[in-house]
Amino acid sequence: MTNKKEDIDVKLIKHIQEGLPVTKTPYKDIGQALGMSEDEVIQRLKKLLESGKIRRLAASIAHRKIGINANAMCVWKVPKERVDEVGKIMASFEEVTHCYERPTYPDWQHNVFTMIHGYTDAECEAVIQAIKEKTGLTDYVILYSEKEFKKVGVRI
Amino acid sequence: MILCDTDRKILHRLQSNLPLVSRPFLELSKELNIDEDTIIERIKFMIEKGYVRRLAPIINTQAMGREATLAAIKVPEDRIDEVSAIINSYSGVSHNYLRKGKNCNIQYNMWFTMSAKDDEELHSRLKEIEDRTGLTVRSMPTTKKFKIGVRFKIY
Repeated sequence: MTNKKEDIDVKLIKHIQEGLPVTKTPYKDIGQALGMSEDEVIQRLKKLLESGKIRRLAASIAHRKIGINANAMCVWKVPKERVDEVGKIMASFEEVTHCYERPTYPDWQHNVFTMIHGYTDAECEAVIQAIKEKTGLTDYVILYSEKEFKKVGVRI
Repeated sequence: MILCDTDRKILHRLQSNLPLVSRPFLELSKELNIDEDTIIERIKFMIEKGYVRRLAPIINTQAMGREATLAAIKVPEDRIDEVSAIINSYSGVSHNYLRKGKNCNIQYNMWFTMSAKDDEELHSRLKEIEDRTGLTVRSMPTTKKFKIGVRFKIY
């Protein structure tokens, strides 16, 4: 039972992961292609969003093309006991699009990663400065992307 | 940059969920005070011109039962093209960047994200990249998430 339900969800996602039809009735059109009703498409998508399997049903924008050219990955060395407190502060900045804790290695000691997007490097660095002031952290590295080899959305 | 204010308004709104109703763009037209046909036409234009990569579900790999990681490699300058081509050849690789430290010199210069159907597949692919390149791949999977949600301020 569960498997069958998941199979249909997977089929639905695979059908629309390259893009929804941009028509007046996209869900009806998806349903027609897959042999299900418009309502079933809507209900399945609702459940996939509620369960978190789909984060959003939304546009992925080519940020560089609209002028958001700066993309700084700023990595921070944060004492274990401060990770929760600091992570929340970092996440509160609008320009911080991702904030994660990650494991360290003998040759890699920075454990908290923030992705910062801005129109300019200076905009990103102003956010980094504000994070420094709010958290008191001093050990960090700003990594700018020099070259994009690949960027595609996750597909299943 | 050829986007007009109408496009920007639409683009800003489209970064949040499309309404799950029969006529989602009609719903947006009420919110944005732009008519439905214009919205549809402008979205098509922005997709065609590449401002919008796609209007589609953004998949949560972990919730779908997949495993994912961010991996880093120290790639010698003269091998960057060769190594990036190897990494990019895997369909599970969604991002791959050459990065350089600004305030501090760091040796890890190639950063990529990879997902796979499970842990075993993920690790065997990373191992395969190590074997094919002869370089050490450092896997840094998320241990705690504080934020994920790429929504850009559209000026």
